[in-house]
Amino acid sequence: MKKTILNLKTFAAVILTASLMTACSSDDDTVVTPDTDTEEQETEEPVEEEDPRWITVAGAKMGEEPGDGNGGTLIYAVTSVDAKDPTVSIDPFENGFIAPSNRTARLQSSEDGNTIFNISYAGDTGGNYTKYTVEGGQTFTPSGSEVSIAPYVGTAPRWIKLFDGDQTGAAVYVSTENEFDDNDAYTRTEATIGVVTLDLVNSSIKEFQEHSVPLSAEEEAAGYYISRIDMPTLNAAGDKLYIGARLSKVDPATAESDSDYEILGSKTIVLDYPSLLNPTVITSTVGHGNTNGYRSINSFEYNGSVYQANQSDPEGSYILKIDADNEYDDTYDFNLDEALGIEGAYILAWRPAANGKAVVAYRHNGSAEGVAGLQGFFALVDLNAQTAVRIDDIPYDPDFYLFQYQGFVVEGTEIYLTQGAVGQNGNIYVVDTETGAVTKGAELVNTTGSHFIGVF
Amino acid sequence: MKNFLTATLFLIFLSAKGQDFSSTVSGKVTDTSGKSLPFASVLIEGSKLGVLTDDYGSYTLKNVPLGQHNIVVSFIGYTTLSKDLEISKNTKQITLNYTLEENVENLNEVNVNGKSKETKLETKGFAVNAIKTEEASLRNIQTNELLNTTVGVKIRQNGGLGSDVTYSLNGLSGNSVRIFIDGIPISTYGNSFNLNSIPPSMIKNIEVYKGVVPGHLADDALGGAINIVMHNDAKTNFNASISYGSFNTIQASVNGLYRFDKSGLTVKASLFHNYSDNDYKVSGRSVVTNGLGGVQTPITARRFNDAYRSTGGRAEIGYTNVSWADQFFIGVTGSDDYKEVQHGAFMTITPYKDRFLESDALLGSIKYQKKDLFTKGLDVNINGLYGKRNRAVNDTVSWAYSWTGERAIDFRGNEYQYTWRSQQEGGPTLAKIKRNVASIRTGVSYAINKNHKLSANHVYSGIDREDSDALQSVLENTFVGTRDLKKNIYSITYELTAFDEKLKTSLFGKHYQQKTTSVDPAIETDTDGNDVIVDEVVSSNKNYDGYGFAASYEIVPNITFLASAEKAIRLPDETEIFGNDGDNVVANSSIDPESSENYNLGFRFGNFSIKKHDFTISTNVFTRNIKDRIGLPIETSLNVDDELIVYVNQGSGTSKGFDAQLNYSFNNNFGLNFNISKFDLKIENQGIEIDVPNTPFFTMNGGLRYSFKNLIQKKSRLNAFYNVYFTDEFSFLTAQGSNTVGNEFFEVPQQLSQDIGLSYAFPDKRFVVSFDVKNIFDEPVYDNLSVQKPGRAFYLKLNYAINKF
Repeated sequence: MKKTILNLKTFAAVILTASLMTACSSDDDTVVTPDTDTEEQETEEPVEEEDPRWITVAGAKMGEEPGDGNGGTLIYAVTSVDAKDPTVSIDPFENGFIAPSNRTARLQSSEDGNTIFNISYAGDTGGNYTKYTVEGGQTFTPSGSEVSIAPYVGTAPRWIKLFDGDQTGAAVYVSTENEFDDNDAYTRTEATIGVVTLDLVNSSIKEFQEHSVPLSAEEEAAGYYISRIDMPTLNAAGDKLYIGARLSKVDPATAESDSDYEILGSKTIVLDYPSLLNPTVITSTVGHGNTNGYRSINSFEYNGSVYQANQSDPEGSYILKIDADNEYDDTYDFNLDEALGIEGAYILAWRPAANGKAVVAYRHNGSAEGVAGLQGFFALVDLNAQTAVRIDDIPYDPDFYLFQYQGFVVEGTEIYLTQGAVGQNGNIYVVDTETGAVTKGAELVNTTGSHFIGVF
Repeated sequence: MKNFLTATLFLIFLSAKGQDFSSTVSGKVTDTSGKSLPFASVLIEGSKLGVLTDDYGSYTLKNVPLGQHNIVVSFIGYTTLSKDLEISKNTKQITLNYTLEENVENLNEVNVNGKSKETKLETKGFAVNAIKTEEASLRNIQTNELLNTTVGVKIRQNGGLGSDVTYSLNGLSGNSVRIFIDGIPISTYGNSFNLNSIPPSMIKNIEVYKGVVPGHLADDALGGAINIVMHNDAKTNFNASISYGSFNTIQASVNGLYRFDKSGLTVKASLFHNYSDNDYKVSGRSVVTNGLGGVQTPITARRFNDAYRSTGGRAEIGYTNVSWADQFFIGVTGSDDYKEVQHGAFMTITPYKDRFLESDALLGSIKYQKKDLFTKGLDVNINGLYGKRNRAVNDTVSWAYSWTGERAIDFRGNEYQYTWRSQQEGGPTLAKIKRNVASIRTGVSYAINKNHKLSANHVYSGIDREDSDALQSVLENTFVGTRDLKKNIYSITYELTAFDEKLKTSLFGKHYQQKTTSVDPAIETDTDGNDVIVDEVVSSNKNYDGYGFAASYEIVPNITFLASAEKAIRLPDETEIFGNDGDNVVANSSIDPESSENYNLGFRFGNFSIKKHDFTISTNVFTRNIKDRIGLPIETSLNVDDELIVYVNQGSGTSKGFDAQLNYSFNNNFGLNFNISKFDLKIENQGIEIDVPNTPFFTMNGGLRYSFKNLIQKKSRLNAFYNVYFTDEFSFLTAQGSNTVGNEFFEVPQQLSQDIGLSYAFPDKRFVVSFDVKNIFDEPVYDNLSVQKPGRAFYLKLNYAINKF
């Protein structure tokens, strides 16, 4: 009953918006508007038949400092119809469900948006996997049994849902130890990785393997080692798992950590899947930054290849390409600095649609210094044409920062995202990757010092 | 006034009845505040003639023979006073009044009238509580438990006996609270000689200063100070106790002092030993076993790697109450402890096995105390400590264990080792920290007269720290830096007492100086092109000032108004200045101290005696305004890969609240006490204020005591106790919206724990047997999110004491 009322309201709102938009539409977006219009009408007539996708909005509440996101991760679900409706107002900080995680939860959603997956980060339940059936609003009903990946990858796990039809999650861990010869001279740093795969459907551990991942003798002698890994991604064939890596370096003379050293080519660890055996390390000659991302998925399969962003690259972030042969395609040279005509581009989060066009969240040297770090922007990127354009239909406040940004929702060629500066209200925006048209969606009500970290 | 009238009339009446052939000496005995002292003994020295004063403190000695006499007046708890007089033929009626001064040394035996030492301390103007340990030392009560029941003090313990403790005073905790043993920072003694291990029987009392710390305890105590005053009697005595109870807990202590009365040579020694398996039952969301595929089964488990042992003692030799010293001791303090670690800051599904901490300390001490040195009113007090202390962490087991205490299995059903090859993530360790420690506090005070007193105080504390790890290579151990920290804190205090002691004020200034040096070996190329190891030395020398005052005014008798304020400082510690190699935190030698303006305003009503009812009520409202809080900046895309994170001064904070306490007793055999403490703690960053999460902001404690006299045996005494402790629920997370769901995950539930106890003193007063039941209703109690504390526990304790030989 409640739902019907909501839908009627929504319906009215949609009609209103649609007619408004039609009225104001310029020549370019004539394609879009009637499209949504008819689509919505179709879904409205038979209410029970095909519900619109749930869009779950996530906010990170302020802990001690504005923008730190340590005060809880709150989620709230609306229909995609509501999400696109600028008259709808969503207030996850007032009405949301607090995801059980001591620090900011790393959330994933099923492709249809009906399930939210969470692995608790740090604290007493760090490593606990929980899944929730999305039922709209603040209602997220736990389903499945409890399982924890903490025994394998610790209580602060770096995990990602693989793109295999919501079957599997993968989490990784690395521990390092310096090695010395008989004369107490530094020889190398041993990096041991642990990789665990989790059956998301049955809530159980699928596989766990542990490996040493050596670098080349020359690199090791200089003190380089893999110090952090993250962002496992399946290749198109589904027989290899790629894991992003960050390199660090010790000074071989003292075995103390080094700074101001030469940044090596970007590296990725490649494992057999699903056995998680036979690790190798591949190196790009194009990019020179880390490939472990931060909190959002950093590499995606598209058209038979895996496209991977890098970070902290001295030349600005690249999007790198790993081909079906599981090696970097060094002929693919897509630099964001060049494409956007900026310096110091740093990809914070990104997401391609099936058409090879992606939305990239980034910051650069020209970003304003906001309350919680450098100002972020969104760009529309074409992986094939290797072009990038800043999306100017989204407002950018100096306090709008995207470092902790996690989630985009892809629906066809449209990509949903959240916008909102620290402590200020924002909106959901929907980017049509084909046309570049940007739709301002539901209002996001913020609270002091907090920010939005995406949609799922 | 009324007393005076009565006494005068009495004297007139007496004189009227005076006899011809002998003289009558009469008078009144009062204390320094003018209060009459009934039942004081008045004796003519060398004769058998003597009387006790009456209810009004008056006495009359009849038939005093002719000649020279010395009349001695004494009263328990007060100094003995004698006066000479001559009875000649013409003297028939002599009036001789006595004013006795309170004897601080013997005060524990006083429970009649007069202000106790605790009361005196609590009416000086500071927001201070003085906690007597006398009763607790006979029961199965640990020092920390005793502190936790004190108003405004909250102790959070991460488990059972020997586990980590944090102290909070009016909302300020951690580094903001300084703890002393006889004025020496407790950190000097190390982990093996702390409030977990020192038995209450070694302690005379505990002073808790909230927000404003007097000059004689000057340190960089931002939120207040706790001073443990060890026994300093000069009377031969001996006591021993042993307690046994749940979780195989043994606590034993022996204290003895022998004084050679002729020479004043005094030897004293104390020994303690504590042991507990801490194998209490736990359950909850993280106490599960993992089966095939990682399937979890919740269980109730006994903690299996949580044992604690501490052993220690102190021996001193010196002189007491001799012409050149009230107390002079040189001594040695040794202690050693072992603590198994069951889990990290939280209880997780991966409990630790065989991770443990060890510490030991061996320290030499010197103590000198003299009142009226050289001239009346000049008091000197010196307390020094020097020695070594060591700390070791041992974590080398790589196999995973389950909450059952057995090896855990992985999803395939096999026993397995952690990828990090240790129990706590971060890798195996045999880390050792060696420290040379020294601390000396010197206080000099001069009472110009009854109204003016000046004092100066200095405390030095220094720590030289050296780290090593046997599991690390020679190279790594070579390039580990050393950190030295030396603090000098000076204070000057002026105390004014005026208007018949109704007004007491204390004005103080403090000067803080901290010198820190870090030495990091590094490789440099010398002029010949050779690599040489050189020490990179970074040092900083900082000076800061603070000041404050405390004042009390007795508006009408027994109603005292108290106010105190201080601009307090906390100097940055070694990690905050030099960073920590392991955490990629580097030095920031320009970091400023945290500072706070602290205010207390209170009233004290009492002690009021109405017939046999006695009661005291005291209240205090406070604010703390903290500036330049020290913390780490948030992680951003700029610093996420950086080795260059530094501690910075960021934001401010406030704590506001009140404390109140009530003590009531009836006829000396029924006692009731209750206290309540509530505060709001907020911090502000970049103009945004939030309530600090994970803070128990509302606590109440209550206690009842009833004494049965002559039960079973004559002259015996049975005390029955009931205590209740309440801590309101609080959230681990910042305040959320009004309509959110899922909040309960982060809640630390309300705690209500009740204890009962009995203690029976045998007629000869030498034996006391105590039986205590703690947490009688077996309530799950938590100080920290999900970390469960012990449930119901039983303890029996035997005490034996001889005070006269």
